[in-house]
Amino acid sequence: MSSASPTTTDQDALLRAGIDRSLRHPVMFFMTSGAAWLAVSIVLGIIASAKVHSPGFLSGCGWLTYGRVFPAHINAFIYGWGFQAAFAVIIWMMARLSRKECTAAGLILVAGHVWNLVVSAGLIGILSGNGTGMPWMEFPAFTWPVMLVTYFAIVIWSFIQFRVRPEGHVYISQWYILAAIVWFPWVFLTVNTLLHCLPGHPVMGAGINAWYKSALIFLFFTPVALGAAYYLAPKVTGRAVHSYSLAKLGFWSLAIIAPWAGMQKLTGAPIPYFLPYVGAAATALLFVPALAAALNLLRTMLGNPETMSASPSLRFTTAGLTGLLVLAFAAVVLNLPDSTLPLTQFSLSGYGFEILALYGFFTFVMFGAVYFIVPRVTRREWLSRRLISIHFLFSTYGIVTIALIALFGGLQQGIGQEDWQVPFQSAATRAYPYAVATTIAWIFILISNIFFFLHLTLMWLRLGRRSSHPTLLAADHGHAVSPHGEEGDIDNAGPGTASAAH
Amino acid sequence: MSFRTFILGLSASFGVAWLAIVVVPFIKMRNLAPIELNEATDGATGIFFPKRTGRVADGAQVYAENGCYLCHTQVVRPTYAGNDLYRPDWGGLKADPDRGDTRRETNAYDFFGEKFAQIGVSRMGPDLSNLGRRVESIYAKDGSATQWLYSYLYNPRHIPENYQSTCPSFSFLFHEQPVKGERNADALPYGGTDDTEIVPGPEVKALVSYLLSLKKDQAVPTVLNFAPDKGKAAKK
Repeated sequence: MSSASPTTTDQDALLRAGIDRSLRHPVMFFMTSGAAWLAVSIVLGIIASAKVHSPGFLSGCGWLTYGRVFPAHINAFIYGWGFQAAFAVIIWMMARLSRKECTAAGLILVAGHVWNLVVSAGLIGILSGNGTGMPWMEFPAFTWPVMLVTYFAIVIWSFIQFRVRPEGHVYISQWYILAAIVWFPWVFLTVNTLLHCLPGHPVMGAGINAWYKSALIFLFFTPVALGAAYYLAPKVTGRAVHSYSLAKLGFWSLAIIAPWAGMQKLTGAPIPYFLPYVGAAATALLFVPALAAALNLLRTMLGNPETMSASPSLRFTTAGLTGLLVLAFAAVVLNLPDSTLPLTQFSLSGYGFEILALYGFFTFVMFGAVYFIVPRVTRREWLSRRLISIHFLFSTYGIVTIALIALFGGLQQGIGQEDWQVPFQSAATRAYPYAVATTIAWIFILISNIFFFLHLTLMWLRLGRRSSHPTLLAADHGHAVSPHGEEGDIDNAGPGTASAAH
Repeated sequence: MSFRTFILGLSASFGVAWLAIVVVPFIKMRNLAPIELNEATDGATGIFFPKRTGRVADGAQVYAENGCYLCHTQVVRPTYAGNDLYRPDWGGLKADPDRGDTRRETNAYDFFGEKFAQIGVSRMGPDLSNLGRRVESIYAKDGSATQWLYSYLYNPRHIPENYQSTCPSFSFLFHEQPVKGERNADALPYGGTDDTEIVPGPEVKALVSYLLSLKKDQAVPTVLNFAPDKGKAAKK
């Protein structure tokens, strides 16, 4: 699939419009409810973060104790926002790339409601004091079989669409999405069976949990985000992917390296020695796939720098890929056994690294995809350039702060922890300013996402602009030629094109 | 590349790692062989079995449900992985009145009775591997260790030297009740009014019992002792 294809026939445009229409409700449902969960997660994140430096804040009630609010925050982020954003992108992009209308929109919508119910139930479980105590898996154990079944009910159609697609070239985005579709249930089923159903050694359980966190980032969120970025970059700029062999290298190196990462979190714990070392090596090596994908995509977009800065989709995608580069750098710098790993193993950088991956990389690319997909499925344009700019700027301020905390705060705190000759309190004192900075960062991100949620909801209500001019971030709106092509032609049978009227 | 090859490639690249670092280690560690003690080197026979007393299982559950693992670890790393062992009261006690230096690293037998080892996510607070030992020998030297922990959990900052602590208060696991006759033995020394007292609820009782069971400084058999010289030095 490449946007370099010479002409767009009416038939093609009709097909795309049909696909978009068939998926309008599930896609918009996942995006808006995901954005709502994102807001919930950020509010919980602010509460949790404030408690780290001001333990008296909202401390009277068990439901709001740090040990429950923090897991609620991260689980709402992952399963409420992350997965739903991924679902929206997976089902839409696979339908588009396989050129098949979705015939199961109703079922997907039902499954989406079930997913939201389970996330709500899980969060209530955590806040009421029934969490499992396993990081990122704190939802009470009854939730996981329901989540797995719901997951299949949502993504299986994309898998089928791929299988019954008209013959032809398989695009790299499809590889990433198929891989994510296959990897996640494999990982999820494994860890839940081993931790909830089979008796095992408690320390190995902790190791498997650390592996799960890493696998979720690198074997689910990363491929979904890269799949989306490989779709958006050529599509919006109208240029072919810079190097297709680099894209393949990025994909297979991720597939080979990422499954080994994660257990470095247990360095020094009584599990077989090779596990943490393999984990540290694999995490550091992840800079190979990250670099391959990020540079390839940035090179693709730089071929058309004007579009890159004017298109909201590409601006967010570029920021996300920059986040990926920082993440890859952090993966190397924070995970060196014998030098930085002892410092970062139990410090703020763990959380910083995770937020960098989940927000600085994944979420930014998802925002890019949202800004691209929503006008197509609602057939309305985004209302306000300013709302998008605010969303972008505040998100960026927030995530840059968090990246700095991860890289410097964590190391500072780690140095304090390792300094055994002074009382432990000094490590906590070193972390204090960074804890305050985290709260401020989350407040920035909250502001940005209030605007995003508002904007998205208006779009779902179909209150977007009825116009053929895509909303661009360029200051000069009077371009003779819009960066998306001729005025009104957004390569999509969007509003205003002749074919869309049929 | 055909779809078949693609799926095979995915399964192989993922499956090898999956088997090598998840499934096989899980099965291998499931039934960890007990360590037989050697009369000559360990001065005892039988098997090594670190004893834990207290409400380990349900206390661990309260620990998990209230997110203690987010700020506290339960692992004393060997010196190649960190400086935990050098701290005077983390891996044991530097100067136990009866046993000398009892510090040692965490081993796989230290988590008996727990479903999931709370290795921990971060160290906003200190490591708890030997909290029970620390409370009994240092913090509550002249009083009741249980009582000290109740007071601490109700308000971690009630002790003047802990004023900087950012540990959350678990006051929601306690309740206030009218004093009937004699005061409750577990009632906090502070809080309440002339007619009422603050007493720990069932969850705090389980949690405190669990916390006091955290004494991972028993002597280990020679095969697990990675600092045999230290042991000899202490005996001299």
